[in-house]
Amino acid sequence: MNKVLITGSEAAALGAKLAKIEVLGYYPITPAFPAMERLSKYIEDGELNCKFIRVESDHSALASVLGGSLAGARSYTVTNSQGLLLMTEVVYHAAGLRQPIVMGVANRALSAPHSRFPEHGDAVSQGATGWIQLFSENNQDVLDNTIQAFRVAEELRTPVMVNYEGYLQSHTLEEVFVPDQGKVDAFLPLKRMPALDVTNPRGVNTVAGPDVYTDYKYIQNAAMEQALELIPKVAADYNREFGANSCGLIEGYMMDDAEHAIVAMGSIVGTARLLVDELRKQGKKIGLVKVKTWRPFPAQAVNQILKNVKYVTVLDKNIVFGVGGALATDIKANLYGQGSMVINGAILGLGGGKCGVKEIKEAVDHTESSENKNRSEWIGL
Amino acid sequence: MTIDFKNLPKQELFGQGNVGCKGCGAAIAGRQAMKVLGERTIITIPASCMATLGGNNTKTTWKTPFYHTLFECAPAISSGVRAALEIQGIKDVNVVSWGGDAGSADIGFQSLTGAAERQEHIIHVLYDNEMYMNTGGQTGSQTPLYAITSNGALGKKVHKKNMLAIMEAHGIDYVASANIAYPEDLMNKFKKAASKKGFSYIHILAPCHRGWGIKPEETIEVARKAVECGMWELFEVDEGKRTRTYEPSFIPVADYLKAQGRFKNLTAEQTAELQKSVNKYYGKGE
Repeated sequence: MNKVLITGSEAAALGAKLAKIEVLGYYPITPAFPAMERLSKYIEDGELNCKFIRVESDHSALASVLGGSLAGARSYTVTNSQGLLLMTEVVYHAAGLRQPIVMGVANRALSAPHSRFPEHGDAVSQGATGWIQLFSENNQDVLDNTIQAFRVAEELRTPVMVNYEGYLQSHTLEEVFVPDQGKVDAFLPLKRMPALDVTNPRGVNTVAGPDVYTDYKYIQNAAMEQALELIPKVAADYNREFGANSCGLIEGYMMDDAEHAIVAMGSIVGTARLLVDELRKQGKKIGLVKVKTWRPFPAQAVNQILKNVKYVTVLDKNIVFGVGGALATDIKANLYGQGSMVINGAILGLGGGKCGVKEIKEAVDHTESSENKNRSEWIGL
Repeated sequence: MTIDFKNLPKQELFGQGNVGCKGCGAAIAGRQAMKVLGERTIITIPASCMATLGGNNTKTTWKTPFYHTLFECAPAISSGVRAALEIQGIKDVNVVSWGGDAGSADIGFQSLTGAAERQEHIIHVLYDNEMYMNTGGQTGSQTPLYAITSNGALGKKVHKKNMLAIMEAHGIDYVASANIAYPEDLMNKFKKAASKKGFSYIHILAPCHRGWGIKPEETIEVARKAVECGMWELFEVDEGKRTRTYEPSFIPVADYLKAQGRFKNLTAEQTAELQKSVNKYYGKGE
């Protein structure tokens, strides 16, 4: 295992290369495009034996990758924001067809107004699609999550999104430990299961009547339930094989005696660590819960880790209009009836807005002030 | 390179037990094409009558791999299928996307032009019933001038988009028009398309008796009249070389148009105008 200084885009591309993807389709979009270009270069340089399909749109990007997967190839794409929205129809469809596609998403704010800056609105818009969604705190996570995503996707026949934020991660250099190719090959054995196979002809996506449609959806959801068991196992295997420190569903930081927990996903987790360290020095019993797996939602793990706290501050770099932050909504729903803690959601960092230590501190203070109970606060207006 | 029309394979790869209407032009086109394409064919069909009539719940009439895709993206899906076959070293498989006029010329056009421009090694078929029949027969870009549809009782006011010319402009390996009333011509074209290493486009006129206002048993007869009057030219453009593959007998266009309920409001002037444009096209003066 060697150490390199790379961007999140390069980490995503390297993860896909180590996974030896066979079909790659993409349509360029900012800020995901550097990952795409890096993968194209690997192919042109002969370092990756993969068919690149230069499609004319994001919709066709996921469609081409889906075709590749249905015909038995390990398939991958990268996108974000508007591209993800355009391909949403295919996102649902690929999950229903149970195809083990892995997709990198360099999270970016959605239009309107136009923004090219980071937030989680694009990923959150896909929360009901049936894709597993992993979030990355840093570039190491981007690489580790990408490799693990293939294992999870292929074992469950369920697609996986690996989220990392535009610019904050996609364009920022960090040190990353790179696993050995031989070990990755052993970690990701290729077991082909083509649905479209001339030696075993089958009809795919024939019309499903009311008598069977619910059953299909039940089985699809059951795979998501299974993912809650599989993802930690895969992470544990990965850590054992590669000497890594990758979390499964969630990870607690300073949570043993914490009275106040910050809950977050993505790059803001790293920032929240700094605040926790600072407040701990001042004697405050505060901790942090990093949510790596957002879909399926790890309800049990979250409830367990939060069961003894008095305050929960959930950081959301997204807004579900008329409801609040998506993560806070999930956490409130899952903690319902579990205790009497105060759970405040904080909406911050939208469209690249400020979400540093100062803003997180403001969110934490809001939660503990007596007049703010179980609300959504907008930070940094 | 022609087929042995008298000794076609007995095996039916598509058709038996399909749930299309009786006299369905689309189903006839599918049956004819599959006689040539054979078992080693992977077929993708976007939303259309053809996507649903071949498979319901656990039953399917297709004896080859068949995938009912989303509306916009059958050629993109087929591109991915071809890529996956190539990476696995699987050869001698026809990868075919088979769209209706909407799934090819309208909502599906973006992925079609993309795949054609990339010269993907696939065959795209447009089976053309000239309206959106799977949703009850609304007007689309392939609906001809003056035709009445379920959302256009006064008849279409603009021309049919010339998809064959558009596809020819892509400089692809093979472009052909076909018609279910001329099975030998249709099958020869599929055979040629299957031999190409790049992109092929076959545009089949396949009447829908419900939308066209004809009797189910008249499907073939009316399809034949479209060719014989000169309004549906049978031709191919094989690696740039254009050939008319059948010389029509030039019956009056009125014989074709008057046979159909969708043209029931056609005036004498409009009929004469359409006759004039056919005459002009074939160099028969005004």
